[in-house]
Amino acid sequence: MSEYSKVASGKVISNRSGAGPVILPFHPQRVEFYNFDAQAVADDNVPFAYWDVSMGQGAAVYQLYAGGVLTTAFTTSGGISTFEKGLLLQFGAKKQISASTKGVTTSFEVTGHGYVNDDVVMFTGLYQTSTSGMPQMSTIPFSVYVVDANNFIVNWNSSGSNYTDLTVAAVGAYVRQVLNPNLYIPSVSFINGIEYGNTTEISTTKPHCLVVGQQVAFHIPDAWGPTGLNSLPNPTIPGSPVYGYVVRVVSPTMVEVNIDSSTFDPFNSNQPVASVPGQNFPQMIAVGNVNTGGFPIYFGSPLYPSPTYLDINSTFSTINGPAIQGAFVNNTSQGFIIGATVAPIGEQSIYWVAYYDDLRV
Amino acid sequence: MPANGGTTCRFMRPRALTPPTIQLGNSGIDPPAQVPQRDIIDAQMAFFGTGCIINEQVILQDQEGVLAWVSERLAVSMRQAEDLILRDYIVSAASEINAGGGSNGDNPTNLGLSDFSLVATTLDCNNAYKFMSGILGEDKFGSGPIRSSYFMLSSTELQTDFDSLVGQGVVNNWNYPTNTSCLPSEWGSVFNLRILTSSEAPVARGASANGQDVYYNTVTGKQGLTHIKQDGFSMNLIYRDPMYSGMLAQNATLSVKFAQAQAITQDTAIRNLLCTRLGGNLFL
Repeated sequence: MSEYSKVASGKVISNRSGAGPVILPFHPQRVEFYNFDAQAVADDNVPFAYWDVSMGQGAAVYQLYAGGVLTTAFTTSGGISTFEKGLLLQFGAKKQISASTKGVTTSFEVTGHGYVNDDVVMFTGLYQTSTSGMPQMSTIPFSVYVVDANNFIVNWNSSGSNYTDLTVAAVGAYVRQVLNPNLYIPSVSFINGIEYGNTTEISTTKPHCLVVGQQVAFHIPDAWGPTGLNSLPNPTIPGSPVYGYVVRVVSPTMVEVNIDSSTFDPFNSNQPVASVPGQNFPQMIAVGNVNTGGFPIYFGSPLYPSPTYLDINSTFSTINGPAIQGAFVNNTSQGFIIGATVAPIGEQSIYWVAYYDDLRV
Repeated sequence: MPANGGTTCRFMRPRALTPPTIQLGNSGIDPPAQVPQRDIIDAQMAFFGTGCIINEQVILQDQEGVLAWVSERLAVSMRQAEDLILRDYIVSAASEINAGGGSNGDNPTNLGLSDFSLVATTLDCNNAYKFMSGILGEDKFGSGPIRSSYFMLSSTELQTDFDSLVGQGVVNNWNYPTNTSCLPSEWGSVFNLRILTSSEAPVARGASANGQDVYYNTVTGKQGLTHIKQDGFSMNLIYRDPMYSGMLAQNATLSVKFAQAQAITQDTAIRNLLCTRLGGNLFL
């Protein structure tokens, strides 16, 4: 009889880039899974994989079904790994930036970056010379859009004249992954673009995690343009902040707020390199909400759903109990991830079991 | 938050009404009524806990009172968790000001006097309430009066930078006229800020534009932030005798469990002042 061991099981849909995060109430020491749909794709598919914590993070022993022949294989990366998302300000390893290309979005070349879509990164030292480069976008968290193993894009308009491509691997030009970017939601968002009109569409550098009805405030430094959005100063009622409300979630990185911005100054990300020391960034923060209930119930939905948040590709559930939409919630979690190496081809049903053992000898 | 009060703590924040600056005149007609409005801030309660399993042989044979010191460690662990959760929430939710008054050419720069002044001015302009009233000057060598102040929570790693600014507006706490209101963790004062330091204050390692550590100095007024506890559930130290384990009653458990939520109740009254150090990263 087990005394304090823990076992969990479930089903997750996987694709070639992996599956998860599978959130658990413990940090597993062993994980195994079976691919129920393995027979559907007989080429280069993984019907079974096993991971033990002593193999190391990202390892796995697995079966490979290729060319009609079932073989066994082993990997030390892209297998199964666990995670504990409990503290902010944790970063991945520094990776040297080889080059960058300015544009409406900004491209970076980083050999073997290892990122996947949704990962949040931060840049440092983007100087081509002491007076040129792209240091204006340093220290801002960005979601990455992966082009290939050595290139990715972030949503930042660097097409202005004050930005210069990095053409060499400049000393100190690094990118690092922000490991736990959404532990407390909603949070501060950095603005990378604004569409003006009777209502205003705000584009953010990483998922904003806002919902319809969220009350938001803006802090736009003068140099960035549309200071009319700012919650203060209020010329009508001194000291009383002016807030907007989210009327539509356009995408995980864009919301529409009910502020008429028709006459506001244009958004200007073309900041000079000389202004980088002490440079402040345009921010949108959540300050409250006007929601009065929980999430809408529809056929097949959970009756008492936990708060969710939107990432680039998916809607994720927190592990909390039900809450009012727009509430400030904790999103700390732990569990495991099925990596790309052992992920089956196509969207297939993965039945997994995770263990935490009583006794390891 | 009261027991049986649901999962979500709701705060109501009234909005200001438009001041009636237009005279009534003599028409005898009332002006239109205003619609009173209030904003809503919700925070969801979350539960946390950890514990240890201790074999009865350890309890029986260990000479150091294992249950006592494990209980102490659990209590410290829980209080640290409370602080870290609140700390990370503030990092996540409060708006940021990058220091620009320093001289190290980074973004953010090291703290300059103008940064202290700027963040205090920002909170003053936003009608934040100060935490501490001032300290009257007394006839003591080296002391001077202290202004009414907001609190600024900073990393202990910044104390060398504060030291370098002593005499330029920065006052160490032993130069206060009296230390009656001085908190144990209080380093000193500058303009309208009283500086508290902690080794657990948030630091983003290597995150500045030049790759230096970035320190989050949280500056808040009274109404900026709230820490919410569940009624009757602020901390539970749970001891389960080995009798409640398996057939042979071999294992005791000691654990702590608590619930908390947190919310920024007035976003205009709190700022994270981000900075780097003057001399680069500290070698600890």
